[in-house]
Amino acid sequence: MNYTFQWGEAFIEVPYLLGGAWITLHLSFIGFWSGATIGLFGALGKTYGGPVTVKLINWYVIFFTNTPGLVTAFFIFFGLPEFGILLSPYHTILLNIALNSGAYMTEIMRGGFVSVHKTELEAAETMGFTLLQQLRYVIVPHIAKVLFAPLSNWYIWMILGTAMAAIFGVEELTGRVFNRAAETFRSIELYTIAAGMYVAITILASSILVVIGRWAFRVKVKVF
Amino acid sequence: MYEGFLDIFDVFLEQSAEFYVWDNAVYLFRAMMTTLTMTIIGCGLGFIFGMIVVYFRRTPGLMFWPVRMTVIFYVETFRRVPFLVLLFLVMFTVKGFGLDFSLFTIACISIVIISTAFIGEIIRAGLDSVHQTQWDTADAMNFSRLQTLRHVILPQAWKVVLPPAFAFFVMFIKDTALTSQVGVLELTQAGKYYNNLGYSAILSFGTVLVLYFILSYPMTRLGWWMEARLHTRRRDERAEFEVGATAYELRGT
Repeated sequence: MNYTFQWGEAFIEVPYLLGGAWITLHLSFIGFWSGATIGLFGALGKTYGGPVTVKLINWYVIFFTNTPGLVTAFFIFFGLPEFGILLSPYHTILLNIALNSGAYMTEIMRGGFVSVHKTELEAAETMGFTLLQQLRYVIVPHIAKVLFAPLSNWYIWMILGTAMAAIFGVEELTGRVFNRAAETFRSIELYTIAAGMYVAITILASSILVVIGRWAFRVKVKVF
Repeated sequence: MYEGFLDIFDVFLEQSAEFYVWDNAVYLFRAMMTTLTMTIIGCGLGFIFGMIVVYFRRTPGLMFWPVRMTVIFYVETFRRVPFLVLLFLVMFTVKGFGLDFSLFTIACISIVIISTAFIGEIIRAGLDSVHQTQWDTADAMNFSRLQTLRHVILPQAWKVVLPPAFAFFVMFIKDTALTSQVGVLELTQAGKYYNNLGYSAILSFGTVLVLYFILSYPMTRLGWWMEARLHTRRRDERAEFEVGATAYELRGT
């Protein structure tokens, strides 16, 4: 027991860390929507595409769901410069997150697509809906209900997952803790504060998602 | 760094002749086993502690209220803390108090802390899938709580618990990559080691990616098989969804 806690030293850094929390949030937000876009096209291709498309998408999904995000990030971060492509750490992480979560979201969204029955689409077609109208009025409202809970869970999971970005020098919450811990040596205090902040952020995000879910999609979800 | 694609290809061929030798294979294999051992120890202990956590969570009466609250607080907190942050927290706490644990032990402790919270939640969902009337019946027949669990609940609940718990385990094989950041010599750290020796990142990390895949994919398939084999209707499939950090179950798909 030769460690003296100095919480005061650590709490001075809270505003700086909160700035990092903001970066964490927008990193996960952008990452989520890029992943969702990939996932949407992946799921579309897997549901309606030809055999070759399906096979390609399957390979993509199986590859990314069976390899660690950290190693793919290393692969991109150190591998791309060998081809003369230089990306900043932030963009590397964003690319990695998008590719990685795209794979998982392809699987999630496919589950939603399967839940749309063919008869409903046929009915819409009979009534003269164009493809876009079908999407807008039949498919989206239907699958939003099925997908809302798993996608919200995924978003929460991604907030935690972006902690990985710190390893590549992105100054989000964990990255800023790295910085300050190296300067002040108040590691235990700073990491505890960071952990508390992650808990707070995810609970906040869950609560907002619950409100959105109940209000917009009438999905019964709860925080705890 | 290099001139063109052909040059990269040349370098790649040149290096792979040096890289794929027996010694490196042994080194990588041992790193792979470290990854696997760490996950098995962490999730195995996590399963046992998870059971204990769930047992405490279901204790009756006002007397156990503080115990229940502590357990709920523990589960809800550690499902919302990133593994990386927890890893550093455990490491600095252990080192700060002057305990002489190996890095491997530190990594295992962190995995146990996280997996107890997640697996505890999975087990709880499994126990909840057994209808409340069965608890009441067992109670009426004068079963003790442990007897109820042992003879009535667990024989039905394990089918619901096992597939997601196994999916969590497979998931964590990949998450242990983060332990390379505190210096545990596992697969990712081995990849970094080779990259630092000067091997191309595509070669070193590419090999590591393939090794992770070899480790993870058969287990994923086993998980699918298990899920298909053990599939039972849950009590209420339209139960309220929970927006929390329960994505592990999802990611096991």
